[in-house]
Amino acid sequence: MGKILMKGNEALAEGALIAGCQGFFGYPITPSSEIAEYMARKFPQLGGIFLQAESELAAINMVYGAAATGARVMTASSGPGISLKQEGISFIAEAELPCLIVNISRGGPGLGGIQPAQSDYFQATRGGGHGDYRLIVLAPSSVQEMMDYAIEGFDLADRYRIPVMLMAEGTLGQMMEPIYVREPVKPAIEKPWATTGCAGRSPNIINTLHLSPEVLEHRNQHLQRKYDQLQANESRAETFMTDDADLILVAFGLMSRVVKKAVIEARKQGIKVGLIRPITLWPFPDAIIKEAAEKAQMFLSVEISMGQMIEDIRLAVDGAVPVDFYGRIGIIPNPEEIYSEIIRIAEREGF
Amino acid sequence: MTTSIKQLPDIEQVLSGNGACGGCPATMALRIVGKALGPNAIMLLTPSCSVASMGMTPRLGYNWPCINICFATAGSSASGITHALEIMQEKGRLQGELPTVFTWVGDGGTYDIGFQALSAAAERNDNMIFFCYNNEAYSNTGVQRSGATPRGSYTTTTPSGKRQQKKNMALLMLEHNIPYVATATVAYPGDLYDKVAKAKSISGMKYIEILAPCYLGWQFDMPETVQMSRMAVRSGAWLLWEAENGKISFNKPSASIINGKKDAAPVDEYLMKQGRFNRLLKGPDAAQRIAEIQGDIDREIAFMRERAQITI
Repeated sequence: MGKILMKGNEALAEGALIAGCQGFFGYPITPSSEIAEYMARKFPQLGGIFLQAESELAAINMVYGAAATGARVMTASSGPGISLKQEGISFIAEAELPCLIVNISRGGPGLGGIQPAQSDYFQATRGGGHGDYRLIVLAPSSVQEMMDYAIEGFDLADRYRIPVMLMAEGTLGQMMEPIYVREPVKPAIEKPWATTGCAGRSPNIINTLHLSPEVLEHRNQHLQRKYDQLQANESRAETFMTDDADLILVAFGLMSRVVKKAVIEARKQGIKVGLIRPITLWPFPDAIIKEAAEKAQMFLSVEISMGQMIEDIRLAVDGAVPVDFYGRIGIIPNPEEIYSEIIRIAEREGF
Repeated sequence: MTTSIKQLPDIEQVLSGNGACGGCPATMALRIVGKALGPNAIMLLTPSCSVASMGMTPRLGYNWPCINICFATAGSSASGITHALEIMQEKGRLQGELPTVFTWVGDGGTYDIGFQALSAAAERNDNMIFFCYNNEAYSNTGVQRSGATPRGSYTTTTPSGKRQQKKNMALLMLEHNIPYVATATVAYPGDLYDKVAKAKSISGMKYIEILAPCYLGWQFDMPETVQMSRMAVRSGAWLLWEAENGKISFNKPSASIINGKKDAAPVDEYLMKQGRFNRLLKGPDAAQRIAEIQGDIDREIAFMRERAQITI
């Protein structure tokens, strides 16, 4: 089958259906609402559940309940709504329930605006709610990846029994690109832990309350081991022209495509510049960045925020080379801007 | 006697420069509300059409001090303001008449996500007017269903029509034993004005819900907002009533429908004027769908007639 033209939010929703998603629980918020609307149209034909909740709190806790039965389920929202979901996400993380949580992000703080932003990076990568937990956070950079990462997100969630967040800028949710629609996936992972009644077996219990300090510590150690495993096995990044680069730009999501164009233009001028694009924002691709820091002389974090991912880059680089920052919010920096910044740094540093 | 539109004062609290759609019923209603409240008031706005269209900040199309608050918590933030004002007055830091604290919230922020905070503020009888401008959907985010969306209505999340009946939110507020509850709509501006003026004079929690026919969500022609509002009342789909200290009285023309002097207009004409209904009334089940909607309206009229008999 050839390519078809799809909107980012709809491609993501279709990707979830391809992955065998059986339930969507959501609440309206711009710029994510098309995901809910797509599910509302599709699920009656497919036999899944679309339910518009009365609040974000309700939606994430419907996901909590539904995920406990072992069904592939999801929710989608944007910044303010994702903030409201945090208590539920913390419970889901501790209960180790697989699900997909989508943040089609916008600018904050407060009600902010519906313009593109990546300023929910801290919220997504540090756990967001209370307690020691993490989510796998995937950052697509194209409409094709909106679909592909939705499919992969469900797979990772099931394999590791962890909530997976897919975070994309509002612009990516709203824009259209031609994509290949993937083949339907049949979820193959058994879920013997699911609460589906206990006829003929002992009851499964989904619990997040640990009154004994030893059990509480044990639970946290257990989660930590899983997170260590994820850091070792699942961190992903795309590298572009980094081998001989003096200056390496780091950008994720839609921003990385703009940066790539600026890198190509700067290369034409003979400036040795490259790009690392984290695909998993958590686990962050520390090893790839650390390795690149052995050869590069400088890093530049380019973000649609006031500077959040830069902290992870600095941790990965661990003082080996300086890390600079370029960012805007509500406005995606254009390739010319990034190119000018590269030239400015190259002239200053003598690259 | 209801105040006539000609008698409304010249005060304008809604200024030019707001970004509302043409024919926006929420803006029309707010204009009337402003005439009754005057300038000594504090406005709270949750995420909704009215906050999205309030003008390009820091400029504002509403001539009040405004606070833009979280979606779920209009009742809470208004409680915070009202308690702070009272304590400042008590300590002598605020002189003169206290400003009226009022929320301007859509049906999503009232019926759904905001209900808990509203219910708690009502239970505490905190001193505010909680306005719900009810356009029967989440119009600001592209028209999704809400708890106020009537049965049979198309929205982007009920593509084959909502299956459930709407809540009777004003009645739920009445059951909180608050001193004043009223319903209104833009086709009857004098009725709305009088209700707001009365609410302003009463201490404690006041709830006023205004039916706000939205051309975009309801899919009718932009200039027909007022006509649609009138048709909602004449068909009995929206009842005009008020309750002081729990005693319900109906206002014209709903009073005539309730006391049987006049029959409610059949709902067909009202439904067929709106794309949100008529797009789903083209198949063989149209008659049944209309009968269901009519059944909801008839039941509500009968129920409210009986409910008004309870005066203790």
